Amino acid sequence: MKAFAMTTYMLFKHYFRDRSSVFWGMVFPLLLMSLIGLAFGRGESISFTVGFVGQGGALAQGLRTGLADVPVFKMTDEKEEASALAELRKGRRTLVIVVPPQGSPEPVRVFFDQARVQDARTALLILEKFISDANLRIAGVQPAVRLQATGIAAARGVRFFDFLLPGILAMTIMNSGLNGVTWVVTEYRKSLVLKRVLATPVHPFAFIGGLITRYATTNLVQLAVIALVAIWVFDAVIVGSLVTLTALALLGTLVFVGMGLAISTASRSPESANLMGSALSFPMLFLAGTLWPREFMPAFLQPVISALPLTPLVESMRAVAARGETLLPYIPGLVYLAAWGALSLVVAGWRFKWE
Amino acid sequence: MRTAGPIVQVRELHKRYGAVTAVQSVSFDVIRGEIFGILGPNGAGKTTTLEMIEGLRRPDGGTAVVDGVDVRRDPRGVRAKIGVQLQEAGFFDRLTVEETLTLFGAFHRRSAQSGRLIDRMQLGEKRRAWAGSLSGGQRQRLSIAVALVNDPQIMFLDEPTTGLDPQARRNLWDVIAEFRQEGRTVILTTHYMEEAQRLCDRVAIMDHGLIVALDTPRALIREHAPSITIGVTVTQGQASFEALPGVRDVKTQDGEVRLSSTDPLQTVHALMDLNRQGSVHFQQLRVEEGTLEDVFLQLTGRRLRE
Repeated sequence: MKAFAMTTYMLFKHYFRDRSSVFWGMVFPLLLMSLIGLAFGRGESISFTVGFVGQGGALAQGLRTGLADVPVFKMTDEKEEASALAELRKGRRTLVIVVPPQGSPEPVRVFFDQARVQDARTALLILEKFISDANLRIAGVQPAVRLQATGIAAARGVRFFDFLLPGILAMTIMNSGLNGVTWVVTEYRKSLVLKRVLATPVHPFAFIGGLITRYATTNLVQLAVIALVAIWVFDAVIVGSLVTLTALALLGTLVFVGMGLAISTASRSPESANLMGSALSFPMLFLAGTLWPREFMPAFLQPVISALPLTPLVESMRAVAARGETLLPYIPGLVYLAAWGALSLVVAGWRFKWE
Repeated sequence: MRTAGPIVQVRELHKRYGAVTAVQSVSFDVIRGEIFGILGPNGAGKTTTLEMIEGLRRPDGGTAVVDGVDVRRDPRGVRAKIGVQLQEAGFFDRLTVEETLTLFGAFHRRSAQSGRLIDRMQLGEKRRAWAGSLSGGQRQRLSIAVALVNDPQIMFLDEPTTGLDPQARRNLWDVIAEFRQEGRTVILTTHYMEEAQRLCDRVAIMDHGLIVALDTPRALIREHAPSITIGVTVTQGQASFEALPGVRDVKTQDGEVRLSSTDPLQTVHALMDLNRQGSVHFQQLRVEEGTLEDVFLQLTGRRLRE
């Protein structure tokens, strides 16, 4: 226990005294985030996907035609209320409008995504204005004051960084394992530091456990710094549970550090082990929905994307951070992710060389 | 726990790497409190032998018992009792000298105060310096401080002075000699015959994975390099040195006539007679004993470092 705790503590110090690791662990993700933000976060017009459930009649038809003319609404016709709400829960709709049948005393009902308060609020404002306009028009009153919706672009920016932040966090976790561990462990082995450790009576699990725990600790520090900067500078919002997010970060660290350890057994030189790690991390960075939605990628790649271990981490972290969802629908993916970690740790334990 | 008899017992240890036999068969005992040297050229199997005894490498066969603990049964038990200084092993470069000792101290059940070790190894000025910034001599001293961190009764030093300048080497010899005064047992490898000769109580000479001789340096020299060299610088005259009593061989090197003698007393007497008669004049006469280098040459037909 003494050996484990001291290893964690000393390796933590050892890490933060290395400027390049601080750059790759904190500055680089933030740089990437601002660059991607510059590229995708601006210049695009705002649009909300609105589900429309019309149950027949002139009112429904009139509303539907009118709403189609609202430029920021992308209207989708839904068969029934239940399926529309299911889409809303998956985060694919901003609003769902349910119009009662002709002659019904029921009001027009609107459902919105509570997790995406910013978006929903904006879309609701626009809808409310539309409805009041319609009421005035039906009553035959000429509006004395006209209001124009503004400030929408800012809301769009926030939404993009809300989306981007969890991806960047997942990327940082992956890199700490595939690019960090691969280098660090082979370097310790090459310089015979590991052999010096082996020459003591310390239990291997205490030392390796200390090493993994130091990665968990440094990752949490890095992720906290990245998230705080993203919140302060880019107005990103984390709506879900921080505890759940931390748990996901720890699981991800264990998996990718395990993969890094497994890769480091395949090579003697830090350079080639690091290259092998990068050969895995780079494609995942671009494919797994890390920086942009995976739907942007062609259909034939989708099965490949589903098979990448980073994908479930990105998806679950995004579901929690950006949409405040529970983890329940993501459990199969997380089990798949954990299986990668378990397999990697078994390979690492079986093939690990101290010199 | 003090047991009677040898503190380290090595019996028929052997190790192969694929087709290469690193250690053919090695057996020896180390007596408590002595400095035991393994002398041999690079590639003789010294390091492999040491690492099998330390429990860092699994032998293909044979046994090593260190202070009552069988290394094949309980390698970590052996490592708890010994101090190991590895050849050219690195440190965590961005930990200070003090932190390095604290970390390695935590790997042992009991550990010495790092402050005392730092003073002892003369690293006081470098206490807060990163290990990566130390000079070769300082690294070597830190390496020995790490080996001392559990206050071991048995120390294994693998080529402790390789790569050091002569001053740093002498300093380290003093440190190692102190270990003997403290009652510690030291097992070291070296390819410097001077180191073995000055430091070791007994020396095992190793070549091609075998111990070819084992004894005190003096006894080894007496047995394997008994002839004594007498060097004379002739200023005037000539003589047939081959005919002098005891002389087996005559060579001229750098203006010095070097006589190899099996009976140095008789040879020197004869030389003195020649000088007194005035037939030959010497400027200088010196008598040299054989060295472990000569022993190695005699046993293997090769020099230690070629």
